[in-house]
Amino acid sequence: MFPNSHLPGGHTDQVVQRRARCWDIYQRRFSSRSEPVNPGMHSSSHQQQDGDAAMHGAHMDSPVRYTPYAISPYNRKGSFRKQDQTHVNMEREQKPPERRMEGNMPDGTLGSWFKITVPFGIKYNEKWLLNLIQNECSVPFVPVEFHYENMHASFFVENASIAYALKNVSGKIWDEDNEKISIFVNPAGIPHFVHRELKSEKVEQIKLAMNQQCDVSQEALDIQRLPFYPGMAEKETEGAGPSSCSFLGLRGSSVTSAGEMDKWKGIELGEKCADRSPVCTTFLDTSSNINSILELFPKVLCLDGQQSPRATLCGTEAHKRLPTCKGSFFGSEMLKNLVLQFLQQYYLIYDSGDRQGLLSAYHDEACFSLSIPFNPEDSAPSRFCKFFKDSRNIKILKDPYLRGELLKHTKLDIVDSLSVLPKTQHDLSSFLVDMWYQTEWMLCFSVNGVFKEVEGQSQGSVLAFTRTFIATPGSSSSLCIVNDELFVRDTSHQGTQSALFTLVPTAFSSSVPAFSQEQQKMVQVFSAQSGG
Amino acid sequence: MRKYRSHWSQGDREGYQRRSNYYEGPHTSHSSPADRTREEVVTPTLPGHAATRSQMATSLDFKTYVDQACRAAEEFVNIYYETMDKRRRALTRLYLDKATLIWNGNAVSGLDALNNFFDTLPSSEFQVNMLDCQPVHEQATQSQTTVLVVTSGTVKFDGNKQHFFNQNFLLTAQSTPNNTVWKIASDCFRFQDWSSS
Repeated sequence: MFPNSHLPGGHTDQVVQRRARCWDIYQRRFSSRSEPVNPGMHSSSHQQQDGDAAMHGAHMDSPVRYTPYAISPYNRKGSFRKQDQTHVNMEREQKPPERRMEGNMPDGTLGSWFKITVPFGIKYNEKWLLNLIQNECSVPFVPVEFHYENMHASFFVENASIAYALKNVSGKIWDEDNEKISIFVNPAGIPHFVHRELKSEKVEQIKLAMNQQCDVSQEALDIQRLPFYPGMAEKETEGAGPSSCSFLGLRGSSVTSAGEMDKWKGIELGEKCADRSPVCTTFLDTSSNINSILELFPKVLCLDGQQSPRATLCGTEAHKRLPTCKGSFFGSEMLKNLVLQFLQQYYLIYDSGDRQGLLSAYHDEACFSLSIPFNPEDSAPSRFCKFFKDSRNIKILKDPYLRGELLKHTKLDIVDSLSVLPKTQHDLSSFLVDMWYQTEWMLCFSVNGVFKEVEGQSQGSVLAFTRTFIATPGSSSSLCIVNDELFVRDTSHQGTQSALFTLVPTAFSSSVPAFSQEQQKMVQVFSAQSGG
Repeated sequence: MRKYRSHWSQGDREGYQRRSNYYEGPHTSHSSPADRTREEVVTPTLPGHAATRSQMATSLDFKTYVDQACRAAEEFVNIYYETMDKRRRALTRLYLDKATLIWNGNAVSGLDALNNFFDTLPSSEFQVNMLDCQPVHEQATQSQTTVLVVTSGTVKFDGNKQHFFNQNFLLTAQSTPNNTVWKIASDCFRFQDWSSS
């Protein structure tokens, strides 16, 4: 009888519990997003893998948190995801070790390694690219372990000042398509080829050196504080080619004023960046600019002196989606039956042509009101204009007298009002019921469905309604209505009129009493009409 | 002829006048008047209502309850949808601790769950076209002052098409001598075209 009101397999307490557990899982999965440490991680992505174990350890321990920045391109979502599996784990890579560098400085200590990355460098020939860079670079450099990973080209250099000089080349070189080439710099820990050269005691030295590098108190030229990887800043845009990707520092983006930079202090970006490119991104509009920033720096809640307007709009929002819409919701099987039975009886009387029978359904001091939507674009009186004079939409109705008048009070007034409303036929099969509040004294439920007008000028027209009932336990396990609010609207925007009104008696639930003969006759009559 | 005036205290009338600033067309998320930065729905306390739940409220004229309900509803709708659109994180301040939400058939219960839920909901733009309200009969509420609020309009969640929606709230009052704070005890939200979304 109420096919839409039934959950598949029936709705039992077990289902409620299972649903509650599912809801818990849903929450837990998405609440992990609130972790501030790895904003680039998404619930469905694989784990962050950083081949540099030592560096990773340093990330965790040191007050300077590199982790938010050093998300490798392997973890990038979107178009690169399919390449994520081919991430370069330096421990496992089988490339022949470069012999050009032994990993030792002339004085025997280990220099500091930096990974230099050219975004989308995969399009460039290695020799051509390195020549181009060297031509622009103020100091000679020796690239180590040049390789392509995902879409980028990378190599290592072993010297902070060389790395810095290379970083300065960023944006000053162009490819043959006249696109600027950027260069990113990242402390690289101990590259694998260095590992292989070293004896174990030197590894300890290196770790010590690494910890020192991570020390917050550094001199002015603090390479580690420079902005890093392109991957973390990427915002997925559909069909985006390299020219529209927005990496940190890419394409010479403009940046905030010095005052704004201060706001970033708390997230260890450092105010000592020599050039301005790292901070902002080159999105087309402010909101997505902020989005990508928020994605990176979840601690940032205030930008430009006000609370971030789209604080909930973080990056590609892979975790933000609308929950699946479900059918009727009932708190319990017993109450469901009670409500469905009530509705069946109520609408039987309501549609019968004589609504006086509803007097027994209402509390003596019940309230009823009716409303229709206010649409400023409505010029022509619509099919439900006959409801208009009774409509109590306090959004537009300001007069307190009318507001009082249009709220019907006492069951006599209510039933009188209902009796003058157009004659209707409700489609019980269209009913969707939400039982949304219950205590031992009160039951709140809302019914959504459609009805047809069966007489008058608008005969045959279908309207949709949402009716909210508040009821108290009545005599002989019935419900007693204390509040009744009816909202009527047009269905034209849904275009589903022809599909409605397909009452099928055999779909009635066994938990609801079968229709009497009179009821069945009504159904037959009605089904015959439903072709139009 | 205004039947109501004789039932209003002076304070009530002032409160009512002040809110006339809100009266415009369909609600869009515009800023509330000056000082309203906190997320609270507050109306003047009715005489005799600064009472705990165990005390019986004085029996005022029904129309006074109606008026109070309208005030609460209007104040509430202004704040709720603006908070939902622009300060989503503060939204759960409008809910009771044990409040429940049925959102397109999904049940969410308690503040923690509500916080998570609203956090995962994409950003929104609401437009309210209809608002109706009724005072809930005390037999159902055991004298806990409650208002039924019914709204309807359109909403656009980021990344989704626009929907028509209906939403119902039960607001319950916590009254002090100075004012009444309204919070959501329960909330039911439905897209009107949910089955085709």
